[in-house]
Amino acid sequence: MPTLTIDNQQVTVTDGSTVLDAAEQLGIIIPHFCYHKALGPVGSCRMCAVTVHEGTFKGLKMSCLVKAEEGMVVTTDDQQSVEFRARVGEWLMLNHPHDCPVCDEGGECQLQEMTIASGHGIRRYGGKKRTHNNQQLGSFVAQEMNRCIQCYRCVRTYKDYCGGSDFGVMGSRNRVFFGRYKEGPLESDFSGNIIDACPTGVFTDKTYRFKSRYWDLQEAPSVCPHCSLGCATIPGGRYGELQRVRSGVNEKVNGFFICDRGRFGSSYVNHPDRRRQVRSDGQPLTVGDGLSKLDAQARELIEEHGPEAVLLLGSNRASLETNWLLQRWAAELGCRAPLLSAHLQRHQAAQVAAFDLSDRLASLEKVRQSDLVVLFGVDPLAEAPMLAVALRQAARNGALIMVYDPRPIELPCEVDHQPTSPAQLLAMLVSDCEPEIVRIREMLSEAEMPVLVAGGDLLGAEGLLRVKQLAVEQSNEKRPCLIHPILGGPNSFGSAVLSLPEQDDLLTRLESGRTKMLICVETDPLLEAPEGERFGTALSHVDNLVVFDYLPTPLSVHANLFIPSTAPAESAGSFINNEGRQQLFAPVTNPRLPIAETGAGNHPPREFLSTAPGSDPQPAWQLLQQLLGDMGDLETVRQQMATAVPRLVDFTNLQPGGVCCRVTDADERSLYAGDLPEQPEGSLQLVVTPARYGSDLPSRFSAKLTPRFAPAVLQMNPKDAAALKLAAGSKVSLDTEVGSFNLILNCNKDVAAGCALVENGAAFPHLVPGGLPSFCQVSAGVRDD
Amino acid sequence: MAQEEKIDQIGLLEEEELAAFIDHACELEHPREMVIDVLRAIQKNHGWVPDEGVELTATILGITPIEVEEVATFYDKIFRRQVGRFPIHICDSICCWSNGGEELAEQFQKTLGITFGETTKDGLFTLLPSCCLGVCGQAPAVMIHQKLYGPLQLDDVDELINRLRREASA
Repeated sequence: MPTLTIDNQQVTVTDGSTVLDAAEQLGIIIPHFCYHKALGPVGSCRMCAVTVHEGTFKGLKMSCLVKAEEGMVVTTDDQQSVEFRARVGEWLMLNHPHDCPVCDEGGECQLQEMTIASGHGIRRYGGKKRTHNNQQLGSFVAQEMNRCIQCYRCVRTYKDYCGGSDFGVMGSRNRVFFGRYKEGPLESDFSGNIIDACPTGVFTDKTYRFKSRYWDLQEAPSVCPHCSLGCATIPGGRYGELQRVRSGVNEKVNGFFICDRGRFGSSYVNHPDRRRQVRSDGQPLTVGDGLSKLDAQARELIEEHGPEAVLLLGSNRASLETNWLLQRWAAELGCRAPLLSAHLQRHQAAQVAAFDLSDRLASLEKVRQSDLVVLFGVDPLAEAPMLAVALRQAARNGALIMVYDPRPIELPCEVDHQPTSPAQLLAMLVSDCEPEIVRIREMLSEAEMPVLVAGGDLLGAEGLLRVKQLAVEQSNEKRPCLIHPILGGPNSFGSAVLSLPEQDDLLTRLESGRTKMLICVETDPLLEAPEGERFGTALSHVDNLVVFDYLPTPLSVHANLFIPSTAPAESAGSFINNEGRQQLFAPVTNPRLPIAETGAGNHPPREFLSTAPGSDPQPAWQLLQQLLGDMGDLETVRQQMATAVPRLVDFTNLQPGGVCCRVTDADERSLYAGDLPEQPEGSLQLVVTPARYGSDLPSRFSAKLTPRFAPAVLQMNPKDAAALKLAAGSKVSLDTEVGSFNLILNCNKDVAAGCALVENGAAFPHLVPGGLPSFCQVSAGVRDD
Repeated sequence: MAQEEKIDQIGLLEEEELAAFIDHACELEHPREMVIDVLRAIQKNHGWVPDEGVELTATILGITPIEVEEVATFYDKIFRRQVGRFPIHICDSICCWSNGGEELAEQFQKTLGITFGETTKDGLFTLLPSCCLGVCGQAPAVMIHQKLYGPLQLDDVDELINRLRREASA
């Protein structure tokens, strides 16, 4: 812990800190470009020069490279350093175009700030500027190479940190060029991070081009709603439109970066088909009238038919507050406790994570620091993309990454992947002699910080419990063996924390015929739960379907009463992520029709209204408060909730954009999902995986992501295909318990033998991941049914 | 052999060369250390390195084309565009400059009727500036392929060019 003096102020820093870090602790920001917290120093831009008066190396030094030493004396504001930085500023600006007025980075440009900070104002260089031809890099990232100042942050982010393989740095001297070997879309699933990393306008968000100036944009810290990791994001909106998302910082979770699904998957908020008005059997109503009608009908039905007549359904897309108020409203109405998920198996897996695993959860930061990560039934790029980047950091530090999964796993790092079918996976976890598990046990016992990553979708509640057994057995007094579970949605953990232990199935309850009214809050079981068709049929028993949602789901079209709610970016709320971190999000914009839509490219109509068009949607928690007749604001709701659910973190200790805390441990719940079904002879194990883009509903309804939507295919191991005499590329029929589907066959040797793999997404929404283990037949040709 | 022929579709490397590179790449822990060797072999056979050469190198070494391109574009002695049969690197560093390098460069441009970066119409000569060639004792100097010439007088230029022309037509 050296103590040093910077600009006559003393500061004590941790061992290994640099002078730049130490200065920052004192509130002195030394100008810099190439240094980035996540990427570390390289000393290539020469901007962070300071003068070292006492220390091993004296004189003008780059503060990002010099380690803080005991007794060191440094000045940042002496004439020598100031003049040097001014020259560097001037030199970096030699070739930089004066296009700030038309540059998308203008106003949030580190180069602008540092140039001003370094004191350079008048251009002395009169020579020709270096120019480049730009590349078309696809629909997400725009390139303008003339603005480049060669800090190398983009390539260090894209290639070194995120593991992309199609981007690099070419040329030498002043001709250095950052781009692809040949023009074409960037292939990495983390390509958008170079937009945040670039300190100037070389790489900008193409989907946000020429939309807003930074200072006109409304921004607020938020939590990504696209998977269960809960990465920190900062969405930005203007004129009623959610225009972009940039990465937030949460060192316990995503660190500094996010995936492209999170960054470019926000346009569901502005979906042109989004319903923004209360509709009762097609007739528009005010929110107040809609709620009164709902309340009256629900009470009447319960009085007439008993507590089972009304069924409330929460979800993993709905906030913690919404799910809790739903429980309160059910108690107030006198109906049975709400189901907090339409997807029973996913909900059970989430409950195992929230209860049985609660004392051994690992954050994504722990995964990055681990020296041995074993993944059971997880495909990171499909289920939790930033996990892949975390695994890469572990691998870069020498960790071994082992994956047991039936899917062809692609990861941006070296990985030991053993294609393993779901049944093999479940069996090996409890086996004593299976060679792979023996090997895993051996390696785990030698590891210093082992983490097991467990996929809730593929393993189910039973599989997660088996992973827990392994973790318990591999923990010792020196170190625990932690688990990082991957769950179905952004608030899966949250709805599990709130749920009651005994939960029956949505479908059984609907099919009993006793439910007269179903109220779905931010969920569409047609798309978000297995057996959508069975749910559709069961709906015929229900007289009254009520839907609260912000997405234009098919269910909201069928609803007798539709009440528009707000997207996460339009409301305050909280989610609990896959490792139990209770995180808050703040509202970015108010819900309203985007001006781009009302004006249809022109000036919006000049109507004099006291409210904005389409501003009816309200946060679901607020709608429920009205139904409860409670006027308490969000603070009050949170206080009440934290008192009622002691596991939750006191909300006054949390803030949006903060690191946030994990909920406290709970006793085991030990749910048993029942016996695993036997595999019928001659069948294949059906593996349904989320597509990388378009499986979670917010990304499916985001037009910006459509270039990344993959066509529907069936993947099989070539040996299985050969045994069934099926040719790769041919049309095949997939017969499952819920129907037959015609698909194109792809053969991939990395698919586990005995499995048939399909991706759930926009092109193939029929099968939903995370259901019970099931089996299928694949045959040649097309069936017409 | 059939497979090897397939990866080198336009015949940038001799069959034996290609086989040797593939064998050697298999022996190395980091095959990318051979990038320059393969690129130079391609350049020796083809005169310069076309896109196919970058891709072939990547295939041989099991790395991505961008990783090859990063190296290929860094070095000015690897040509990624077509050059004349005799690329002339004229040193513009301090020793050559102070011994008449500028005048020598002008003389080359006058004799060949081209400026730096251009190739003569007959496809024989390309003029390229080069930072230090490492033969300050022979300043002013030029390099053609791997051969160094210097110290050169202005009168030597005509003779050198004519000799190379004769060599080309022989």
